[in-house]
Amino acid sequence: MEEKTQFQKKQVLLFYCIEYEDLARQVASQSDVITLQSINWRNFDDGFPNLYINNAQNIRGQHVAFLASFSSPAVIFEQLSVIYALPRLFVASFTLVLPFFPTGSFERMEEEGDVATAFTMARILSNIPISRGGPTSLVIYDIHALQERFYFGDHVLPLFETGIPLLKQRLHQLPDADKIVVAFPDDGAWKRFHKQLYHFPMVVCTKVREGDKRIVRLKEGNAAGCHVVIVDDLVQSGGTLIECQKVLKAHGAAKVSAYVTHGVFPKRSWERFIHKADGLENVFEYFWITDSCPLTVKAIANKAPFEVLSLAGSISDALQI
Amino acid sequence: MAANSPLPSSLINSSSSSSCLKCNQIRFGESQKLSVRCDTFHSVQIKRSMASSASKSKRVWLFYCPEMQSLAQRVAAQSDSIDLRCIIWKKFEDGFPNIFIPGAQAIRGQHVAFLASFSSPGVIFEQQSVLFALPKLFVSSFTLVLPFFPTGTSERMEEEGDVATAYTLARNLSSIPISRGGPTSLVTFDIHALQERFYFGDTILPCFESGIPLLKNRLQHLPDSHNISIAFPDDGAWKRFHKQLQHFPTIVCAKVREGSQRIVRIKEGEPEGRHVVIVDDLVQSGGTLIECQRVLAAHGAAKISAYVTHGIFPNSSWRRFKHDDGGI
Repeated sequence: MEEKTQFQKKQVLLFYCIEYEDLARQVASQSDVITLQSINWRNFDDGFPNLYINNAQNIRGQHVAFLASFSSPAVIFEQLSVIYALPRLFVASFTLVLPFFPTGSFERMEEEGDVATAFTMARILSNIPISRGGPTSLVIYDIHALQERFYFGDHVLPLFETGIPLLKQRLHQLPDADKIVVAFPDDGAWKRFHKQLYHFPMVVCTKVREGDKRIVRLKEGNAAGCHVVIVDDLVQSGGTLIECQKVLKAHGAAKVSAYVTHGVFPKRSWERFIHKADGLENVFEYFWITDSCPLTVKAIANKAPFEVLSLAGSISDALQI
Repeated sequence: MAANSPLPSSLINSSSSSSCLKCNQIRFGESQKLSVRCDTFHSVQIKRSMASSASKSKRVWLFYCPEMQSLAQRVAAQSDSIDLRCIIWKKFEDGFPNIFIPGAQAIRGQHVAFLASFSSPGVIFEQQSVLFALPKLFVSSFTLVLPFFPTGTSERMEEEGDVATAYTLARNLSSIPISRGGPTSLVTFDIHALQERFYFGDTILPCFESGIPLLKNRLQHLPDSHNISIAFPDDGAWKRFHKQLQHFPTIVCAKVREGSQRIVRIKEGEPEGRHVVIVDDLVQSGGTLIECQRVLAAHGAAKISAYVTHGIFPNSSWRRFKHDDGGI
């Protein structure tokens, strides 16, 4: 992105959900033109939200953004109420930053009757009222299925960002930066990321059926003697990563690390990756995630092999678009 | 205090034994059901006489959320034209819904309805996913039955910055896709604020029903039905209900400020010697009802009962109304 002078930069008022307070502070600290705002998040006795947007009169004519995290269905409604209210407060423009677009990562539309919750989510977001700045900009990092871009109506402008530049920057800092090979656990990951990582040697894995089992095999590329970094958009149970790691080791990889943009890790599944004191089970050298999934970030803080690469700088830049 | 008179047996609806044989209903994860003990409260159902012949009434496929299973079964038991259908509600590991609608091809050309319950924010998204999916399955028409429209009951838009969640919910429902039958019909009972009807866009046709006819029917069967007066806890309740209850003597209460306190007083009407029934659309903590009851008793009411369409009772607040053995 071109550097803008102070005159050209948009002043942005940044609201955020409770889960993202840390990331919001980091985003605001990246830039002089981003100011944090606050919302009173309370509940009535019946469990429904009792919300108040502080300073609502003074946001008129300002560029406003909201940092949202839909980590579970239960937190959607309260954030949505704020998202539907902010654009109507005479703001100059409205941007919704939703680093992780949940839903759709497990589901398959295979027959009539399957219900696509990714469609539900996109429809709900497409219904955000337009503001004086026109359609709402919607910033999403490494969306799971690229065709989901077509699920959105004309009142939102999706802006698809990626965490890969953070990975590349981190890899260049490693002492064995010249021995890095990037591995994709399946063709889907290759399609999503290979163009951004073309200057690294690549390995592609694939799942094949053997009897009633599905086994991970190496499809192309050479891992021998290298530090192999498995790259994917997200991790859930971690099973896929563990199987890939075994295959790569069997093919002679010296070290294996992993990067995912979204460390979803439901039900604390990150535990299986934590380095133990006896070192026997420490199969991953590094495990990089971004701070898109704040509940995970809190849980794995300072626990090897995890390192968090922050989206704050990237979000701060995206707010200038 | 409330008097419990025995119900005529013709009015007691024995719980329906029809179960959904085709359904393999699975609900994973924690359910957050509102549970109300029914030993103190009798459920009254009015059997509708089948005035129209089977060929005139629409055949309707009725789907429902897990919380509403028992009501859905009772609805289907009322009429041959209503078929109970099921949905498979599961969750993925990340907590997001994994939903399947069986019979999605056979549903084409049918009139379809969904019985929803938004008892807490956590259950909205999964039901909304079904609401967005059903109308697009080439159905003849789509009706959403949402007996209780939550949100908006406690909130006040008093200054810029207040966020109206009633608006959020109405907006969400307004984005239900239209079906071949046109806009979605939305059936709701005793909506808290009548102006909420204007929150819906043109894709929704709100149909506002009321539970008051059930109350009137029940009151007529009481032994002291000739001695009943209706009390409204405030002007809001009077505005909502007085026209439906015109043939009863009326008492209207009001809250007045006395110093820093707010006290319930009787604004008009005469409780002396009467069986007074306090009527409102909903109850939360029950505080208002209890204060009204005290004032009415102080003014000589012989007996006091209450009716609300929606017994929300957050945090088990219904407990304060249970008759204990002390019989106060």
